[in-house]
Amino acid sequence: MYRNLTIRQKQIVWAWAFLAIPVLFYVVIRFYPTGNAMLISLQNWNLLGDRTWAGLDNYAKLMQDEVFWKVFKNTFVYLLIGTPVSLVISFIIAYHLDRVRFMHGFIRMLYFLPFMTSAVAMAWVWRGFYQPVPVGLFNNYLAAAGIPQIEFLRSTTNALPSILAPAVWAGLGFQIIIFMAGLRAIPRSYYEAARIDGVPWWTVLFEITIPLLKPTIVFIVVFSSIGFLRIFDHVFNMTSNDPGGPLNSTKPLVLMIYDTAFNAFDMGYASAQTVVLFLILLIVSLIQLRILRDR
Amino acid sequence: MANLALRNLVKTYDKTEVLHGINLDVADGEFVVFVGPSGCGKSTTLRLIAGLEDTTSGEIEIAGRTVNNLEPKDRDIAMVFQNYAIYPHMTVRKNIGFGLRTSKLPRAQKDARINEVAEILDMTPLLERKPNQLSGGQRQRVAIGRAMVRDPAVFLFDEPLSNLDAQLRTQMRLEIKKLHQRVGNTIIFVTHDQVEAMTMADRIVIMKDGHIQQVGTPAEVYHSPANMFVATFIGAPAMNMLTGKGTGGGIALPSGTFATNGPDGADLVLGVRPDDLMLSGGQAVTAGKVILREPLGSETLIYVDTPSGEIIARADGRTPPEVGETVQLGADPANVHVFDAASGQAVR
Repeated sequence: MYRNLTIRQKQIVWAWAFLAIPVLFYVVIRFYPTGNAMLISLQNWNLLGDRTWAGLDNYAKLMQDEVFWKVFKNTFVYLLIGTPVSLVISFIIAYHLDRVRFMHGFIRMLYFLPFMTSAVAMAWVWRGFYQPVPVGLFNNYLAAAGIPQIEFLRSTTNALPSILAPAVWAGLGFQIIIFMAGLRAIPRSYYEAARIDGVPWWTVLFEITIPLLKPTIVFIVVFSSIGFLRIFDHVFNMTSNDPGGPLNSTKPLVLMIYDTAFNAFDMGYASAQTVVLFLILLIVSLIQLRILRDR
Repeated sequence: MANLALRNLVKTYDKTEVLHGINLDVADGEFVVFVGPSGCGKSTTLRLIAGLEDTTSGEIEIAGRTVNNLEPKDRDIAMVFQNYAIYPHMTVRKNIGFGLRTSKLPRAQKDARINEVAEILDMTPLLERKPNQLSGGQRQRVAIGRAMVRDPAVFLFDEPLSNLDAQLRTQMRLEIKKLHQRVGNTIIFVTHDQVEAMTMADRIVIMKDGHIQQVGTPAEVYHSPANMFVATFIGAPAMNMLTGKGTGGGIALPSGTFATNGPDGADLVLGVRPDDLMLSGGQAVTAGKVILREPLGSETLIYVDTPSGEIIARADGRTPPEVGETVQLGADPANVHVFDAASGQAVR
């Protein structure tokens, strides 16, 4: 029977044969749980007892939950500060590193190292840096310089930026590598032509380099936005005696979901939060792709 | 006005010297083509003139000024790159106008200049398009337009036609030549294609291994090549080279002595272009069997197996000799070239 197929039909048979495994994998591991979460968000369930139908109660509860709105705001603060800051820093580093010949590979490795390091280990090291004297590195420096102590993790205003800083730092290596690949892809003759035309460096930067890096920038913005919207491990590990604290000032959505699901065992409510996170990710990604896509 | 002079130009990368003292004078309005095999230093010379690379030693003069230590923008030059280097995210108008970014002209005058250039290049209807909506030849014209808009003393072209297909290349060749006749700026044009060099140049500079081999008009380099390299590089199919020994009044070839003047007792090479070999008449050069024919329509190239090796000759297109036929090859002694085998230099 297979023999009688045309070449095109045979190709289709083979394509589906190879696709079958990932498709199956995706259905079982991704789509089924996603659908199930959406279903559970309309139910009440404590993980052990029966599921009871709740309709939109969980969503209604969410809308009236003060903690949710605080967490919602925190999540967007992570996104709106983390993404642009990491984008600018990684671009500046990549832009200059691109010109460095001396020990280029070694320096690049140094930048990439944090990306490969376990977030948990890193969070605990930074947590140590943030402690008061005599433990904390930063406060020791401040004390030595005669500057008053800063409560990094125990202040409701300082805690979130203090957690965001290592999260940004950890992602830089990856973004730098992507930026450098983008920079390398721009033909040298574009710069040589600009040199002959005698335009100043900022014109070259803003009118040649950055516009030509647009696909790279789109990728990094979408990728890092998703990362910051899903931030969890840095927050959890740096505030582990009161996760998301103090007073929920650092709690992101994922941490709230975790709390609701595995501390309060309110699966329905947690699922409703998950669906909201899913919608936020979807909308943010779509908006970014639309804004940044080539017109 | 604008002329270009290179004095003892030397360029080294690390410890490797790639240009060994280039000397050249280019007159105002002249179209000079640098030609040579890859790695001969022609593009390096161009990049030195442009100021994209630092000169190791020697002097570059443009319009009477020494420009060695001037930035490219201050050298009064414009360059057209092999890959065009036009910006994909800008319209044709912005691309052409990019060369005027630093100019202090008022906006209206800049616009007028862009329109004028677009007019000359026949690009006016395409001004608002992006490069990806243009054909290869049109992109090439945008690149030329960006150079023209600055009205430089010297235009530099770095193998600008090598990304085009054969037909378009022939067409752009003509267009560039016409453009030169019209605007009259000095042009330095780099290519590895000897046909481009022959058809476009007022003067050709033939380079090899960082040395200039010969400078001359297309007719000069074709008819009186200075050495064996130039003789074989210019002209297609390449000149036939027959080795022999000087006898005072001729060259002793394996198939007999060809009477011409040359030093006695020296190892000599007789060079004869395929066009100058005659199947009947002339003074006998050599003879052999036809082993291959390449019909080109108007003529047929025949490959002849002779005691001096394989020789290419041009035969009539309608009645060429058959494969296997023995042919006598003769030449007019006035049209042959004699080279010294050891130095490669032309003896006469």
